Amino acid sequence: MRRIGVFVCHCGINIAQNVDVEALTEYASHLDGVVVSKNYKYMCSDVGATLIKDMIKQHKLDSVVVASCSPRMHEHTFREVISDGGINPYLLEMANIREHCSWAHDNREKATEKAKSLIRGSVAKAKLLESLTPSKIPVIPKALVIGGGIAGIQASLDLANDGFKVYLVEQEPTIGGRMAQLDKTFPTLDCSSCILTPKMMEVAKHSNIELLTYSEVVGLEGSIGNYNVKIKKKSRYIDIEKCTGCGDCATNCRMKGRIQSEFDMGMGKRGAAYMPFPQAVPLKYTIDPRHCLFLTRGKCGDAPSCKEACLQNAINFDQKEEIVEIKVGAIIVTIGYDVLDPTSLYEYGYANSPDVITTLELERLISSSGPTKGEIIRPSDQQKPKSITFILCVGSRDETQCTWCCRIGCMSVLKHVYLLREKLGEDVEINICYTDIRSYGKGYEEFYRKIRGLKTNMFRGRPSEVRDMKSYQKIDIFDTTTNKLFEIKTDMIVLAPALVPRANAGELARLLRLNLSGDGFLLEAHPKLRPVDTFVNGIFIAGCCQGPKDIQDTVSQASGAASKAANILAKPSLESEPLIAIVDTDLCSGCKLCILVCPYKAIESVKEEINGKIITRVKVNEALCMGCGACVAACPSGAMQQLGFKDKQLTPMIEEMFS
Amino acid sequence: MKKKYALFTGCMMSTEQYAYEISVRESLPILDVELVDIEGFSCCGEPMKSVNQLMTLYLSSRNIAIAEKNKLDIFAPCAMCHLALSECKHLLENNEELKDRINGMFAAEDLNYKGSIEILHTVDLLHDHIGLETIKKHVKKPLTGLKFATHYGCHLIRPSEIGRPENSENPTKMDEILKALGAETVNYYPEKLDCCGGILQINLPESALTKTGQKLKAIQEYGFSGLVDVCPWCHRMYDARQVKAGETVATKLEVPVFYLTQLLGLALGVKKEKLGLDLNLSPVDKLNLGEA
Repeated sequence: MRRIGVFVCHCGINIAQNVDVEALTEYASHLDGVVVSKNYKYMCSDVGATLIKDMIKQHKLDSVVVASCSPRMHEHTFREVISDGGINPYLLEMANIREHCSWAHDNREKATEKAKSLIRGSVAKAKLLESLTPSKIPVIPKALVIGGGIAGIQASLDLANDGFKVYLVEQEPTIGGRMAQLDKTFPTLDCSSCILTPKMMEVAKHSNIELLTYSEVVGLEGSIGNYNVKIKKKSRYIDIEKCTGCGDCATNCRMKGRIQSEFDMGMGKRGAAYMPFPQAVPLKYTIDPRHCLFLTRGKCGDAPSCKEACLQNAINFDQKEEIVEIKVGAIIVTIGYDVLDPTSLYEYGYANSPDVITTLELERLISSSGPTKGEIIRPSDQQKPKSITFILCVGSRDETQCTWCCRIGCMSVLKHVYLLREKLGEDVEINICYTDIRSYGKGYEEFYRKIRGLKTNMFRGRPSEVRDMKSYQKIDIFDTTTNKLFEIKTDMIVLAPALVPRANAGELARLLRLNLSGDGFLLEAHPKLRPVDTFVNGIFIAGCCQGPKDIQDTVSQASGAASKAANILAKPSLESEPLIAIVDTDLCSGCKLCILVCPYKAIESVKEEINGKIITRVKVNEALCMGCGACVAACPSGAMQQLGFKDKQLTPMIEEMFS
Repeated sequence: MKKKYALFTGCMMSTEQYAYEISVRESLPILDVELVDIEGFSCCGEPMKSVNQLMTLYLSSRNIAIAEKNKLDIFAPCAMCHLALSECKHLLENNEELKDRINGMFAAEDLNYKGSIEILHTVDLLHDHIGLETIKKHVKKPLTGLKFATHYGCHLIRPSEIGRPENSENPTKMDEILKALGAETVNYYPEKLDCCGGILQINLPESALTKTGQKLKAIQEYGFSGLVDVCPWCHRMYDARQVKAGETVATKLEVPVFYLTQLLGLALGVKKEKLGLDLNLSPVDKLNLGEA
């Protein structure tokens, strides 16, 4: 006969207000198998834990029922408590009388009756609980970082400096990401590349980091501590072992200066053989298969001019893409963001005039390494503009587009105002059409104050129409501070568009089994307390792939994700939750239905020879099983059972609950 | 195959803007469209909206129910009628209770509103249902050498959430139709989406005329051959009130203003006398359209 103790928690007044905890304690003490029943204000506190431990000792308890909150909240806490008290942690059953009872009902009498049923069921199950032992899974002390922007760079360096091997995968030919495209950063006006390139170089030189640029993750198997990742290395058509980065191929490319440069946001041109920017890491060239004459038409003059020019003989048009497999213990996803294409927002005129550009395009114009060498010119006539107008919240905070705030628009535009004043002096008029100026970070408000002193015209409102008058642009805006309709005539318009998830974020999320939030960004496990975790153990997120944020926040989050990953990688092995599926081989018919439904590929089919007959059965891989229970539900013969939730434990529980 | 539609003329076309109705009746049958006149159609309901919304809905849904009884989709060339009927359909689609209440009122007339038919306007009828290819096939006298500015009007393009025949920020269908007729248009001119002013006439008549004048002045300055519209309310402002509008912008305005269906008729070979061109008050004669 089991000796069960029942512990009823008041949870302050959360439970006690709607459930009569005294009556409940009294009721539980009479249940079959229960030898002691107690209640306390906060069972999860030190005092509560001591009470449970004392009772275990005093009454020689061998199972414990805690009637309190959801097991999601405190199951782990109470498992530790009873383990300290000397009994197996899996001999604990929780009756959720808070979320499932006191919070959901306001009739005290009926709620108390319901709580009694819940406890009755838990006691019935507690009688049938079995001791379980977690198994040990070895951890591969290596990490994968997906995305080589500032977040990925920071996370990789942190982990590499901790002594872990890191694979950094980047889909573009170079690391650096969005930050490499920026000229200066707010609010300190640090030169973006001056602070970024040393980090990029460090990544390139670090003996613990293996850089896989121009590569994509295409497959993932395994679980925390033991991930098996397939990576596709796209073909650069250039042997990067031989390429010295001299640039002779780009200089001689027949397509030179004829393709819009993605890095320059279309403001500059490149060839089919190209390096996105001069500080690229690795310092290697790539041939773009979408534009290369030889690769698209099979013919480039008499012979490909790049091939003739390359003294290293590095160009290889026969190069094939390659799939490599790596094993890692943890993964950090830092794939960044895309900028909303304002073409579809006709009212802002981006589709009509070259003189309406975006902030990222202006960033390339301002940059001294950009297509104009830092000269600010109006795209339509290459003249110096006399008036520049910024429009904020383009597609952001907009019910019809992106409901969220981009969090960097205001500050990036204020920074641009500073840089434009610096470059163009007093003879340029600068207007800002804003919704609210959100200067929320450290030093941001002070920066805003400084910019307000720089003769900037602020219009609070959203333009209803941008008219392309060819020689100038005309903006209709209703200013909500003065309640007046204004017409702004300006030479050039700069839009600050919304930040949106990467176009391939959904695809990668499916591959990694991550969740997306409603806005399409990757979902964190908890918005406040687990901001870099995901619902998949061992996979972390950082930077703008989780939601728009500035460089400061991105870097902090990346370091946070790296240290979370290091927590796993630093352990030689992990204890795995023993609440996994097991097969009763006598009942298994080998139908393999469970293999079909298993999302973790944890079940395999095995052939066994019994009495000279070959019989097909299934086997559960303990390291891969996450205990989701899908196979248990699917099994037609009841052969598949979940430890801690076996049919013979659950059926009596249900019967008792409704008796 | 002939397509049949119930022609919903509304008040403006049958009391003042005859040219629109005449040109619709003359030109569409050439494109294999049969226009059916149905007994019992009333006011679309829109003018009552600010006074009694239920009355508006009653009138709109009653018109739709009558067309449903005749198993015909409605063709409403007036953009305001089209909006009223479409909005009614949208509102009743999501409100069973209101639908039942309305149907209760119809009991005496043996009508039943289902919301099963389509409401079409000139622009989507021509562009989406008849199609540019069919139109091109029927063109006999292409409008070569003419460059028109198009005016879509607010009722045709807003509010987008109830479903309008055209995109509210970048409408192009009318331009495409005119191109199919052989004329030239531009998909964008800075004042393309500006209001005709018509809606302000009652409480702010001066502002209304200024809006009309500003747009016509710009069109005149850009050197367009004329302005094309598809709404009797807009047409009244640009055509009938053009001279007065010119005073507000201190300009002598001489912009020929046409209904799209008048130009359609001309291109399809209908004689100009049959398209109501003599009813246009703007100087349409200066283009010498339809002369031998």
